[in-house]
Amino acid sequence: MGTALELKNVTKVMKGKKIIDDVSFTVKSGEVFGFLGPNGAGKTTTIRMIAGLMKMTSGEIFICGKDREKEFEEALGHIGGIVENPEMYKYLTGYQNLKQYARMSKGVTKQKIDEVVEFVGLTNRIHEKVKTYSLGMRQRLGLAQSLLHDPDVMILDEPTNGLDPAGIREIRDHLRKLTREKGMSVIVSSHLLSEMEMMCDRIAIIQNGKLVNIQNVHDEAEAETAHRYFFEVESGYASILKEKGIEYQEVEKGIEMELEKDQVPNVIKMLIEHEVRIFEVKLISKSLEDRFLEITEKGGTTIA
Amino acid sequence: MHKLIVNEWTKIFKRAGTYVMIAMILLGVVAMGTLIKMTEEPDQAGDQWRDELSQQIKEDKKDLKDMPASAGDMKRFLEKDIAINQYRLDNEIAPPSETTGWSFIDESSALISFAGLFAIIIAAGIVASEFSTGTIKLLLIRPIRRYKILLSKYVTVVLFGLFMLAVLFISSAALGFGLFGTGDGNSVHLAYADGEVIEQSQMLHLVKIYLLSSIDVLMLVTLAFMISAVFRNNSLAIGISIFLLMMGGNVTSLIAAKYDWAKYILFANTNLMQYFNGTPVVEGMTLGFSIVMLCIYFILFMALAFGVFTKRDVAA
Repeated sequence: MGTALELKNVTKVMKGKKIIDDVSFTVKSGEVFGFLGPNGAGKTTTIRMIAGLMKMTSGEIFICGKDREKEFEEALGHIGGIVENPEMYKYLTGYQNLKQYARMSKGVTKQKIDEVVEFVGLTNRIHEKVKTYSLGMRQRLGLAQSLLHDPDVMILDEPTNGLDPAGIREIRDHLRKLTREKGMSVIVSSHLLSEMEMMCDRIAIIQNGKLVNIQNVHDEAEAETAHRYFFEVESGYASILKEKGIEYQEVEKGIEMELEKDQVPNVIKMLIEHEVRIFEVKLISKSLEDRFLEITEKGGTTIA
Repeated sequence: MHKLIVNEWTKIFKRAGTYVMIAMILLGVVAMGTLIKMTEEPDQAGDQWRDELSQQIKEDKKDLKDMPASAGDMKRFLEKDIAINQYRLDNEIAPPSETTGWSFIDESSALISFAGLFAIIIAAGIVASEFSTGTIKLLLIRPIRRYKILLSKYVTVVLFGLFMLAVLFISSAALGFGLFGTGDGNSVHLAYADGEVIEQSQMLHLVKIYLLSSIDVLMLVTLAFMISAVFRNNSLAIGISIFLLMMGGNVTSLIAAKYDWAKYILFANTNLMQYFNGTPVVEGMTLGFSIVMLCIYFILFMALAFGVFTKRDVAA
C-alpha cells in the first residue's frame, strides 16, 4: 500500500499559542484514518491545514507525494472533502450545486455527476432546491460533491454531526464501499468514540495539539499477547488455579484472568477435569473508550 | 477562469433578488418617461430659434463682462454656452427644442447611481455571503488558487455592473425612441473643449456619458468588494459604500470650497465629466491627475482585498 498523505512536523501557532505542536503521521492508501480528541484538541485545525483552508506555521504536508504549499493545485486535486456540515447554495438545486463544483475541477463529465448522484442515492430529489433537503440529504449531497473529481484522499470533519443513527450508518457504509472499491483513503475526525471504532482502521489520538498515540482498531498482532478473559464458574476453582500459578480476580458471578489465546482451551480443560461447572467464557476486549481515556488521562488532563 | 465566472454569474442569476433589481431599473425608466411625456409642453419654437439664440448670446456676453474676476467657474460656463450657440448659428444646427429619444437616454443617465446601488449590493455580498453561509470552505478546498477565486468574483461584479448599465441604456433607448421619436434626424452632439466646439455623434456621446458617469460607481463597487473580502461583513460593505455613494460627492465639494487637499479625496476625481463639460472641483486639477488618483485608489482597494483574502485562515 502506498502513502496517500504525509504530515511532517506540522506546527501551527495562533496568537502566540501553539495550537498544533509538531504533528507527524502518514495515512496509507485505502485506509480509514480516524482523528480522535476532546473538543479543542486541534482536530479541525489539522484537517483545515491539510485541506488548504489554513496555513501552517511550519512543517510540510504531502498529498499523494505533492507538496501542499509548493504544488497547491496538484496536491488539492487529490483531495475531496466535507469540512463540518456540508454547506451548499440553498437557492440552487442539488444538481446545480454539483455543477458548480464540477466546473471547478478538470474533466468532470455529466455522466460522472449522474453516477455520483446515484451512488449517494439522491437521484429522485436531485433537481429540487437544497433548502427543501433534510440534514441527511444535505450530508449525502456533500458526499457527492466531494466525490466528483475522484479524489484519492477524502477528508471528513465531524461527518456524523447532527445525523440520526440511520444517517450515521449510511455514511459509514459509503465510506467502507469507497475504501474497498476505489482504494480511497479517508480521514475522519470525530469526538464520538463508538462511531470511530466502527468506521476506522487506525485512530490517532490528539490532545492539546499533540499527537498522543496512534492505535490500530482491528489489531491482529494484539491477539498474540495476553487478553483478559471472563469465566462464569461456580466454586471449586481456587485450589487448582493456585496450584498452576494462574492469577485471577474474583468478580461478580465468576472470575477474570489474563491469558494468552493458546492457554484458554487448556484452562477450560483443567477446570472441567476438576469438575468446576463453567457456564460461560468470554474475551473482555478493552473498548476504544477505555483505551482513549487511559491514554488521554496519562497526558495529565481529564476530558470533560 | 471563465468557468469560475460562469459559476458566479449563475449564482447571481438564480436569485430572485436580481430580477427585482432589473425590474426596478425598468420601472425607473418607465416612470421617468411617463413623467416627461406628461409634463412636456407642445413645441412652439418653429423657426424663431435663430433670433432666440442671438438674444441669448447677447445676454451671456453682457453677463460675462459684468462678472467679477473671481467667478471663474461661472465665466467658463458662459463662455461654453456662447461658443456652442454661436456654432449653431454659423452651421445652421437647430438646438433640440423638445425631448427626443437621444435626450431621453441622456436624462436617464441620472439613474446610473441607481444601477450602481445594485452593483454595490452584489459586490458587498459576493465574498461576505460565502463566509456567512459557510460555502467558502467548499470553494477553497478546490485545486484552485485563492487569487483566481477572488478575481473571478471581482470580474463578475464588474460584468454585472456593465449588464445593469446596458439594461438601463437599452431600455431607455427603446422607451425614448418609442415615446419621443428620433427628433429631426439630427443626431449631432456639440461638445466644447479647450475653447473649441466639436461635432460628435450622439451615440458616441451617450456611451461616453454612461461610461464616465459609471466611474464613481465602479470605484464604490471596488470599495464594497474590498470591505466584503476583508471584513467578511455584508452589511458593513453595503452601508459604507451606499453612504459614500450618496454623500461622498457633496461632502467633497464642501471641503473643496475651503481646502485644496480635497483634490486627493476619491470623490473629487470620480467625475471625469468635469473635464469635458464644466469645471474641475478644485482649480488646477487635470484629467491626468484624476486618472492617476483613481488608479492609486483602485490599486489600494485591490491590494487590500487580495492581500487579506489569500492569506486568511478560514476558521468558523
